[in-house]
Amino acid sequence: MSGLLAGLVAYLASFLTNATLYVLFVVGLNLQYGTTGLVNFGHVAFLAIGAYTAVLLGVHGVPILFATAAGVAVSAVFGVLLAFPALRLRDDYLAIVTIGFAEVLRTVVNNVQFTGGPQGIYGYAVPLRDLGLGYQAWQWLFLALVVALTALAFALTEYVVRSPYGRVLKAIREDQEVAVALGKNIVGYKVASFALGAGVAGLAGALLAYYYGAINPHNFEAIVTFEAWIIMVLGGTGRNWGAVLGALIYFGLYSATARYAMSGVGAIAADRLAALRIVAIGVLLVVLMIYRPQGILGRKEDLGLER
Amino acid sequence: MLQFVATGVVFGSILAVTASGLSLVYAILKLTNFAHGDMVTFGAYVALFLNLALGLDVWWTLPLAFIAGALLAVALDGLVWAPMRRRGAGTVAMMIASIGVALALRNALVFLFGADTTRFDMPVQPKVPLGSLPVMMSADDWEVIVAAAVAILGLHLLLTRTAIGRAMRALSDNAALAWVSGVDVDRVIRWTWIVGGGLAGAGGVLYGMTQPFNTNMGWFLLLPIFAAIIVGGIGNPYGAILGGLLIGVAQEVSVAVLPTQYRLAVGFVVMILVLLVYPRGLLGQRSLS
Repeated sequence: MSGLLAGLVAYLASFLTNATLYVLFVVGLNLQYGTTGLVNFGHVAFLAIGAYTAVLLGVHGVPILFATAAGVAVSAVFGVLLAFPALRLRDDYLAIVTIGFAEVLRTVVNNVQFTGGPQGIYGYAVPLRDLGLGYQAWQWLFLALVVALTALAFALTEYVVRSPYGRVLKAIREDQEVAVALGKNIVGYKVASFALGAGVAGLAGALLAYYYGAINPHNFEAIVTFEAWIIMVLGGTGRNWGAVLGALIYFGLYSATARYAMSGVGAIAADRLAALRIVAIGVLLVVLMIYRPQGILGRKEDLGLER
Repeated sequence: MLQFVATGVVFGSILAVTASGLSLVYAILKLTNFAHGDMVTFGAYVALFLNLALGLDVWWTLPLAFIAGALLAVALDGLVWAPMRRRGAGTVAMMIASIGVALALRNALVFLFGADTTRFDMPVQPKVPLGSLPVMMSADDWEVIVAAAVAILGLHLLLTRTAIGRAMRALSDNAALAWVSGVDVDRVIRWTWIVGGGLAGAGGVLYGMTQPFNTNMGWFLLLPIFAAIIVGGIGNPYGAILGGLLIGVAQEVSVAVLPTQYRLAVGFVVMILVLLVYPRGLLGQRSLS
């Protein structure tokens, strides 16, 4: 009985950590799309850059705090580099360029030596692990760290969105021409917003790497981006609390079906059930976009969906 | 080197077929359809089923895959795109929905056929030298090029010589004017999907004739297809043909100097470079006429 309870408690810790990491990841996306209207279909690239930068620096002896900060910074820099050529173009070009960037990045990570190639990297140091705690205690401590950092990013982006700067971002989303007419440097604002979102994703990536204890290119496939989109659109685009609600619903559903997906039901093999689950994700996304594109908490008038 | 160019032309012809359909859909519907690659996969798997389960020769599956792709596209329009148009959904909402369609379609195929790499049951043909040139091509390679050329010629004749083609061009140039002039918009949209989905389905079969494939093929083709339509000028099917050949040749020629895994990246880099110099693509956009 106590074994069962311990298992349940451990499961709860991993559920909450995964969900919180996705909230953090989505907070970055929400700043780019929800606030500024930038369609980033390659968000997972910044997760990967944050994860690999932090881990690789850590492996080479850089203290974890600095390695993590570097993960955030390098992600943000890549955000700037990608945004500059793409943001001068229209929405659909940005979507294509970001999706392409994420796939190309994964190909590169999979094929170069220093990232460990397809095997990836494992056995690196992770925060709070050297305190002599058992794995269970560490899981909860690490969860507290993830929640704290997510709350920080959450508060920071809320602050940015409510500031005069954030009002310009929303103006750009609503009507770019008006922002231009007011003398705002649109490209500058867009690039900064994109970079900030990328940096937040980089932090999520570094934390994800610490939590997994091993990373490889398989962790950074395009589906991760689309899971983030589902969570954002489900909870409410442009609302940070929407990310929390979306992540809880998404991971709730995910966990509820996980037992069947692991073992298979009757004659249906596990990999086919996993495919069926992604079919359901796809259908959910379509249904949401038809009937409630602003999500549960979102306000329709807040969204540049009419363009 | 010439060998890489030849392989590139074969791959580029397939890209041209699939990309011109995507570009046509964009021109008429203003929809950036991320599910297009998976419609290509769908065509290949329809052909695979006909070929393996019913023993049909692959060449006979080509028109059937065209029809299946067209039917799928028309069905998806009824289920997804028409309701979105009625509700006045914008381009971004449609783009996000197309991602959902892509995920659902691809994984429905995984559910039905599994994710393993597969191939058509067709005789292996020897590659023979092309005249005195250092280029080896099989009969299938030539047939793929000819089939692609026929499909593209058909598209050209449709756009320039038929009433529905003229209506398509009118709609892409000025939707409001076309509507006021009495163009039956619903009918044009239906034909756009028939042609776009059909070309995607047929393109999938052509791809499967040149190499083994799995349910991810459409996802991997999507980047070069988008690169092709952007290089050619988005919304311009003729530009997509030019772009398809350019990207196809660029990707294969890169194999001479780079590891083969980077082929996809090469198409992407070519796209970025073209965008930096010609933001509207080589042939400009919105010029169906």
